[in-house]
Amino acid sequence: MMIISHLDLVRTLAWIPFLQPAGAMGSYWWLLMFPLVLGISIAYRATHDHSLDRFWHRVILFAVKSTVAMGSLALAMYLFVYWVIPALRVG
Amino acid sequence: MAHDSDQLDEPLHWRAAVLGWICPGMGQIMIGHRRRGIFAMIGILGLFLGGLLIGGVDSVDRRDDPLWFYAQAGAGPIAFAADWANLGLLKSGKVGELVESPPSNPREAPPLVSTFKTVTVANEIGILYCALAGLMNVVVILDALKRPIATRIDQERSRR
Repeated sequence: MMIISHLDLVRTLAWIPFLQPAGAMGSYWWLLMFPLVLGISIAYRATHDHSLDRFWHRVILFAVKSTVAMGSLALAMYLFVYWVIPALRVG
Repeated sequence: MAHDSDQLDEPLHWRAAVLGWICPGMGQIMIGHRRRGIFAMIGILGLFLGGLLIGGVDSVDRRDDPLWFYAQAGAGPIAFAADWANLGLLKSGKVGELVESPPSNPREAPPLVSTFKTVTVANEIGILYCALAGLMNVVVILDALKRPIATRIDQERSRR
């Protein structure tokens, strides 16, 4: 669960939207990737689908697929860097 | 494919493309694909305004981040307006204060930067949001350029 600290709360209250960057996300910045993928999915599906029937269903499906694909790539990179490379014999 | 050859015969809608750059999604609306245009507008403007909300207007900076700005400029005049706001409000010191920052070259005078400028990850994500909005708008503009003008059936379907 995300716990907003006292300092984060003060920062949020003093925040001027559109002028100051939103700093209260702290170490949860990666959650901002989900709305990013959603926005891209909306624009992509609006132009690439022949029919707009069940538009939002397709948008959500595309966003989930993209997120899972990126997550899988990140996991593969993690395993490669932290498990495969150390296991390689040097020399 | 018959559909592809139909699209090849279709003339290019230059006015729709220009309108799509001025206001994302308006190109599709102009050629009769109202619903499609509104969805594209929601996606592009949502991304761009989301980027400004996360990173502040400093996310769009023509002078300090020119390569990112080339991508962001695809979103249209809104990118130039954000850059103008960055220059006029933050970099001029009208909002926040200007403080000296460590110079990249010790022989030069320390540059003045706004206290609202940040080097945190929020700024990087804001830049990324705005850049992807611009790049996706290029896709939307190309779609408006090539998409056949909506038939009456398309327009009725679009109103639903």
